[in-house]
Amino acid sequence: MKRSTHVTAPLLATTALSLLTACRKPEMQRCVDEQNHVVDDKLCANLPDQQGIQQQRPDGHGGFLPLLIPYHYYYGGWGGYGLGSVVGGGSYAPAAGRSYTTRSGVTTRGGFGSSFSEGGSHSSGGSSGGHGGSSGE
Amino acid sequence: MQRIPLTPRDNWQQKVESVGLTFHTLENGTPYWDESAAYQFTSAEIDTLEAAGYQLQEMCLAAAQHIIDKKRYAELDIPDFAIEAIEWAWNNEPPALYGRFDLSWAGAQSGSAPKLLEYNADTPTSLLEAAVVQWHWLKDMPSSLVSYKPDQFNSIHEKLIAKWKDIDPYLSKPIYFAALDNPDNPEDQLTVTYLRDTAQQAGLDTLQMFLHEIGWNDSQQAFLDPDEHPMFSIFKLYPWEAMLQEEFGPHALATYQSTRWIEPIWKMLLSNKGILPILWQLYPNHELLLEAHFDSPGTMTNYIRKPLMSREGANITLVRDNATVVSTPGPYNGKQIYQALAPPAIFDNRHTVLGLWMIDQDCCGMGVRESFSPITDNLSSFVPHFFK
Repeated sequence: MKRSTHVTAPLLATTALSLLTACRKPEMQRCVDEQNHVVDDKLCANLPDQQGIQQQRPDGHGGFLPLLIPYHYYYGGWGGYGLGSVVGGGSYAPAAGRSYTTRSGVTTRGGFGSSFSEGGSHSSGGSSGGHGGSSGE
Repeated sequence: MQRIPLTPRDNWQQKVESVGLTFHTLENGTPYWDESAAYQFTSAEIDTLEAAGYQLQEMCLAAAQHIIDKKRYAELDIPDFAIEAIEWAWNNEPPALYGRFDLSWAGAQSGSAPKLLEYNADTPTSLLEAAVVQWHWLKDMPSSLVSYKPDQFNSIHEKLIAKWKDIDPYLSKPIYFAALDNPDNPEDQLTVTYLRDTAQQAGLDTLQMFLHEIGWNDSQQAFLDPDEHPMFSIFKLYPWEAMLQEEFGPHALATYQSTRWIEPIWKMLLSNKGILPILWQLYPNHELLLEAHFDSPGTMTNYIRKPLMSREGANITLVRDNATVVSTPGPYNGKQIYQALAPPAIFDNRHTVLGLWMIDQDCCGMGVRESFSPITDNLSSFVPHFFK
């Protein structure tokens, strides 16, 4: 006999059911620069539709150049809302049927402490050999 | 004032750990908490130091008022966007808790008054060493070692609890205690844990978190804790000058009037090294001050040069006879001030600095640091004291 005589996996079943029926959570919508670093949402506010935007050539040769806007909304994927952090795995266009939330609708964290973290402006850049490296004095 | 060699208690490491000091030994193996000696003072010397603390506090408050009245913020590199919150805090007096004056003094026998080196008014540490650890050390000292019943300049713990009770009505609860999360250095977390302990002993509800866990919600225009509850009373062991440069700095300023930050933002006027030349301008030749100037050393030939915002002995240059004797590395740059060298305070080849603790307006305790270098830094040892 190569077949189990009895198979029961209630947890698996419950989890699968919840995945099928659960509401999908809103995904992240972040304003990013050309290197996909998160920037303030204000930089993406009131951006024109970037498709088909052109400006007149400045060299007097006539014709038009595409207008390059360095900021875009980035939808979904990995990474967080922290300013300066890198995002990836998402897209520059929202996916149909999904909802998205900007920084303003969520609580962001990590906005204090960077100056004394590794690489911060107050970090020692190496071991002090003592008990220091704190933000106290 | 004397430095007296002593035999450390058996298992002193475990003893100090049991009262909260886990960072008692430096990475190189030498003690940070060093009870192989103690500083002995006379009662009259303690009176002198206590009076100096009160007088310096009065002078510093007058200097802060002067900076505000004369708008001298730019000389301290304080950004314009912080001025409104500083002035609001100064005028409305939200709760302030503590600070530490660092003084150089070789005791009454020196014939000189104690001299102010700087005022750590915003984020002082070495608190639990001064308030708790040296208190337990003294309790353990048998009379055979010190030969009489000694006392200690140290009512810090009692004054902290009393202060929390005093400011309780002005604080919403819980009070949050936040510091950096540095697994290699528990000093900040232990300091805020101790302060939280004193608040709890005063009957106040508290919570503790890491600094990076503080959240900001644009919709609510509020700082939120990890459970998404609004935070209205926050003790932060983190300097204002750094907060203002970071992502949440504008939010802290925009909501300043609805959030009780301890220490209040006006403390950045006093923790700034620029307070030293301003004090000298206001109180020239005062016996508790060292000559100090912005921009240049003037006619001084023996002086310290230090950046306005430097911390823990970083980026300090010691000049003697117009020649650099010592220069410490560090991440600080920008404007610097020039301060005359203090009269020598050297005991057994160690340079000694006295930290006078202010709990709000009360001078109520002292911690002694010493080092072989003339510049006190994070390698300097903490040595207990007593007086008779």
